[in-house]
Amino acid sequence: MKRAIVLGMMAMLGLVMAQGRTVNLLWSGAVTGPTSDVGGPYGAGIEDYCKYANEQKLIPNVTLNCTVRDDQYQNPNTQRIFEEALDRAKPAMYLGYSTGAMLQLKPLINEVKMPTIPASAHIGLIDPPNNQYMFLPVSSYSEQVVALMEYINRINKNAKIALVVNPSPFGRAVVDHARRAAQRLGQSIVDVREVGGGNLDNTALLRALDAAGVQYIIHQNVAGPVANILKDAKRLGLDKKIKQMGAVYTGGADLIRLAGDAAEGFLWASSYYTLDENAPGINLQKQLAAKYNRSADILNSTNYTAGMLAAAIAVETMKRAAQRFSGRIDNETVYQALIGMNGPNAFKPGFAVSTKAGIEIDFTRTEQTGAEGLRVLEAKGGKFVPVTDPFTSALFRQVRNP
Amino acid sequence: MRNPWAQTGNYRTSYVQDTTIFANYREIVSVVLLLLALCILPMFLERSQVLVLNFILIYAIAVLGLNITTGYAGLISVGQAAFMGVGAYTVALSAPNLPFWLTIPLGGLTAAILGFMVGIPSLRVKHLYLALATLAFQEIFVWVVGRSPALAQGAAIPVEMRNFLGLEIGFRNHNYFWYYVILFVLVLMVIAWRNLLRGKYGRALIAVRDNDRAADAMGMDPGRTKLFAFALGAFYGGIAGGLLAYMQRAVVVEEFTLTRSVALLAMAIVGGLGTVVGSLLGPAFIEFLRLYMERLSEWMKANPFVQSITPAGVDVASALLPLSFGLVIVLFLVFEPRGLYNWWRLLRSYFRTWPFKY
Repeated sequence: MKRAIVLGMMAMLGLVMAQGRTVNLLWSGAVTGPTSDVGGPYGAGIEDYCKYANEQKLIPNVTLNCTVRDDQYQNPNTQRIFEEALDRAKPAMYLGYSTGAMLQLKPLINEVKMPTIPASAHIGLIDPPNNQYMFLPVSSYSEQVVALMEYINRINKNAKIALVVNPSPFGRAVVDHARRAAQRLGQSIVDVREVGGGNLDNTALLRALDAAGVQYIIHQNVAGPVANILKDAKRLGLDKKIKQMGAVYTGGADLIRLAGDAAEGFLWASSYYTLDENAPGINLQKQLAAKYNRSADILNSTNYTAGMLAAAIAVETMKRAAQRFSGRIDNETVYQALIGMNGPNAFKPGFAVSTKAGIEIDFTRTEQTGAEGLRVLEAKGGKFVPVTDPFTSALFRQVRNP
Repeated sequence: MRNPWAQTGNYRTSYVQDTTIFANYREIVSVVLLLLALCILPMFLERSQVLVLNFILIYAIAVLGLNITTGYAGLISVGQAAFMGVGAYTVALSAPNLPFWLTIPLGGLTAAILGFMVGIPSLRVKHLYLALATLAFQEIFVWVVGRSPALAQGAAIPVEMRNFLGLEIGFRNHNYFWYYVILFVLVLMVIAWRNLLRGKYGRALIAVRDNDRAADAMGMDPGRTKLFAFALGAFYGGIAGGLLAYMQRAVVVEEFTLTRSVALLAMAIVGGLGTVVGSLLGPAFIEFLRLYMERLSEWMKANPFVQSITPAGVDVASALLPLSFGLVIVLFLVFEPRGLYNWWRLLRSYFRTWPFKY
């Protein structure tokens, strides 16, 4: 009789196990409000990859419950959404968004030990204190800007550069590192200007930079303000005189759509493959966009790729956590799986370029940047084409903590 | 003598009675009951729900301050968020060396000093021009913070308090602890507000608002009164900002932009300008509106039927919140300029005079 009861219980347990369980993944970001041109496609990328992961059963016996919520770029909303999730359905991982909200949530994220992958690549997120559970999916904004400066140095020594940044912690993140890099490269940062959305006429800005002898403008912004500056530069005939370039959120198809032919020649530092390249992640992106009826604007957006990459890292980490810890998927096991994602265990979903060592995404306890390789791309004939091979900025590592 | 428990109106026969904080015993009892209810409320709520309450109470303190400057003294201010920011940054810089019960008043004082300075233009300009002066302060504040390395250029400055009198404060009890601190501060601020406004300073504020020349002729000093109103309103803002800094564990400049100032002004208008009850109802109404619109918009996005009848379904849902926010302010301005306070007054009057109509 006892044996029958035990066997019955085991059968029940097996049945329950076979039916699987639910693991939660949370993203909150600006689907509406400021920077929603980035947040909308980013959230769509996460949503679609989660559907795909469930359909393909990428995590055996587990249903992924992806919650995508709009925080309207309001930090109190982000905090509330995150704490709500901790109360009601503790997520195994948190995919965050804006620089300000993520910096503000750092102490709480560290306290609750929640592995977090933000959309923001602000270096302060992975700098101490409270940085243990923060992981950037791609190289930081600062590294992207320093890489652009290194690129300038290859073609023009002692260049005169102006930084045009978003008037927020997101924009200002790069300024100090750029100044230090300029010092080492013998370049001069002539001016640092802050330009946000609504910059409908940039004549004064461009004339002032031209008068100061600026040869290069490096942008740290979203595509909208950059597009307006590019159009004004073309109108003023300064597009040939001053070369413009920017970090990851400035470029891509969004910039070409907004700036039109004024985007020609714009240089863009990005870790992501473009839609014209034949990479497994990009092919998947095209397939999923078609399957889930996404508009052409979303499909073409690099932010859609970025959202998918963040979700892909989360799903892969959960899968590895389940394999390593006998099916246990929670914040602790996911953290362990994430910091073990390196060397032969590095992840290669095909959304971002690989470093020379052939590594696309890797993390360790102390190296909290995923895709460390990046390329400089140039807008030519209405699309971005790479003008460098993937590289990592050696100089950035020197100026990060001088 | 009338039975004080059964009185259906305020029968004041002396100046002393006219200046009491509570009009009758029933008001005292209802305030005590409300406070008791607020004290036990967190026991029935999740941590994240307490967080929402904390935001409401903090905004209520800031709106109380705005109600002194704008509601009572009639000086339009669109810089209340900047005063909150001054309080928050003062707390962020002093928290490593001082206990919270000192840093928060210090934040209020710093904001009050700046409020005094911002109020100086009010000696010469009025109405929209004064609003522009406060707008300038709001923008200057954000600009200065963004360019100050000492303030992390607007990025986060951590404000952590792990221990209070042996009580360890962590993730589990952080929101609850700050709920009681904020509630205590709010009660103090409300008492101070009521106390101030029943005296000669309060009457001077009203007199200056209604006609500053007449107030001057009656021996009041309109200039000093206006500066006092600005400084006091800013003090409330600074206290609110200090509490927000602790509650959010870090200070980021994005919390103290013009958008927040406009939201605070909207809360004051919706609640009812120049009233304590309005200062509490306005933030609660706007915050709950935000929550319910968020839920509705999420439901719309997830509902295939809604999406099928609206070709741009996602956009319609996303537009709900800003649309409802704007609509509420316009509707209140047009149909109920006295705000939610007036509904509260009518409701209270109905029960007080029941079963009679008047």
